[in-house]
Amino acid sequence: MLTRKGKYGLKALVHLAGLPPGTSAVIGDIAQQHNIPKKFLDTILNELRNAGFVVSRKGRLGGYGLARPPENIQVGHVIRVLDGPLAPFPCASRTRYEPCEDCDMATCQVRHLMLDVRNAIADVLDKTSLAEMRRLGNGELVLPELKQA
Amino acid sequence: MTAAHSIIVIGGGASGILLSAHLLRQSDPRLRVTIIEKRGQLGRGLAFSSDQANYILNVPAANMSAYADEPDHFHNWLLARHPELPDDPWLFAPRPIYGEYLGELVRSATATASGDARLTVVDAQAVAVRERPGGMEVELADGTCHVAQAVVLAVGHEEQPSRGNGVAVRAGSDADTPIDPDASVMILGSGPSMVDAWLTLAARRHRGPIRIVSRHGLLPLPHQRSLPLAIDAADVPFGTNLPYLTRWFRSLVQEAEANGNDWRSVVDGLRPFNQRLWQSWPADARRQFLNHLRPFWNIHRHRVPPGLHSRLQRAIANGQIQLMAGEVLHLERFGDDVRAAVRRRGHHESEAIVVHRVYDCGGIALDVETSSNPVIRSLLEAGAIRPDPQRIGLDVTTDLNAIAADGTTSSRLFAVGPLTRGQFFEIEAVPDIRRQCADLAQRLLG
Repeated sequence: MLTRKGKYGLKALVHLAGLPPGTSAVIGDIAQQHNIPKKFLDTILNELRNAGFVVSRKGRLGGYGLARPPENIQVGHVIRVLDGPLAPFPCASRTRYEPCEDCDMATCQVRHLMLDVRNAIADVLDKTSLAEMRRLGNGELVLPELKQA
Repeated sequence: MTAAHSIIVIGGGASGILLSAHLLRQSDPRLRVTIIEKRGQLGRGLAFSSDQANYILNVPAANMSAYADEPDHFHNWLLARHPELPDDPWLFAPRPIYGEYLGELVRSATATASGDARLTVVDAQAVAVRERPGGMEVELADGTCHVAQAVVLAVGHEEQPSRGNGVAVRAGSDADTPIDPDASVMILGSGPSMVDAWLTLAARRHRGPIRIVSRHGLLPLPHQRSLPLAIDAADVPFGTNLPYLTRWFRSLVQEAEANGNDWRSVVDGLRPFNQRLWQSWPADARRQFLNHLRPFWNIHRHRVPPGLHSRLQRAIANGQIQLMAGEVLHLERFGDDVRAAVRRRGHHESEAIVVHRVYDCGGIALDVETSSNPVIRSLLEAGAIRPDPQRIGLDVTTDLNAIAADGTTSSRLFAVGPLTRGQFFEIEAVPDIRRQCADLAQRLLG
């Protein structure tokens, strides 16, 4: 499921993808431009740094920048780090699933269908790079497939 | 590319046979496949050429079928051809028998009733491959040429020892002449080929001390019956740095252990995604993996049958095998013996160790620029191929097209198997090679 965390993280990364290569942006500016609570963004960028997607630079001109070109960062890879395994429903994850109390996970047809759905979602997200995402709507558009998720 | 009907496969080992089998499986009557194999025997590449029955596969029969969509194919063949072996899909079959299976996979195509064979096997050494306006030309050692629409390099593993300036030998090769069974020997590397070398020594009733030197002094871990964890691509953290992936992996192992499984279920569950993981990493993560994680990954991933593992443990316990973590800096002849300069892990000074023979069982991932294979050498010289950025194989696209020195992609020259390690990393074992071959066969035949 795309949480607010995932959404904010993607917005911040698309923001960074728009910077000239090698430059960085400060958290305050990103938070303000995209209406993201600054403290929350701080946590998010820290997690993205631990996973190797962004780097932080110290000093007067410091801030956050992408760790590699936006063509080489896939949207699905980022969402897995921020929101965990891609899953449209809590039960439809194999490694981190939260079983429903009222059904049997082995025979539940809803779960089986949702496992297929998640793989289709993963396929779209893993084939989309930050650079492609940025072109979707000048950095404003969240992927339509996930709006309702 | 447009569909090819004539294809030359250079190399008749496991990779070459699997590709040919997948090609010939198509009913296309116009298809002509030529395998060029210098040993003259099919399916007897480096992995399956041994005629010693104590070399066994390190993958159970159930996972060794040539066809992913017919998983019982090898097991059923075993039952029919080798009724003397136990009927067990978990059987680790003798390797020469797998070589026999590979040979039979394509043999029927060489002799058809109409006399018009779809497969030709040429017993010769290929020395050069050239792209001509009309197609590809393969030159053999005797000067004759074969032409085809596409050429696939399936030359597998390097056959010459990589290190030790000619002093180290490969176990079981011609250079491995008989030695005194009480002589002391040294094995460089502690992976699956070390296990082979040790088996060769054990079969000769070698009694002398065996020093095994590798970077970390780690031995492959044993197989156990375990079910792979069900993991989907949507679960796997692709594209992260290695510390993140390692943390994820460890937490999954803890979870598996809490559920009564062990790390094997995680390693095996992850296996379908190893190639995609490797491909999702930027160059620095790949290099980091090769330099730091690979030894640890290898002992978990490339396991040995449990019986063999306990034999190794016994040899360590009784002192015949001595494991050394360190690096061999230099080897030189010393009378009839070999003097090795070994620097133990964590030490600055090296020590001289004199042994009677040194076996090179080091990495099979070698820089192609040092290849002893004439086809690879001539293609490199012509600039038609180049090493991959990590220098562990040939540079190919994800569709297996060879990439030339100037970065252009060939539409007629391809590579399969271990040579494509730079792009796929996990491409040593039959389950991976068969899938790669099935995909390439489909693309070649359009």
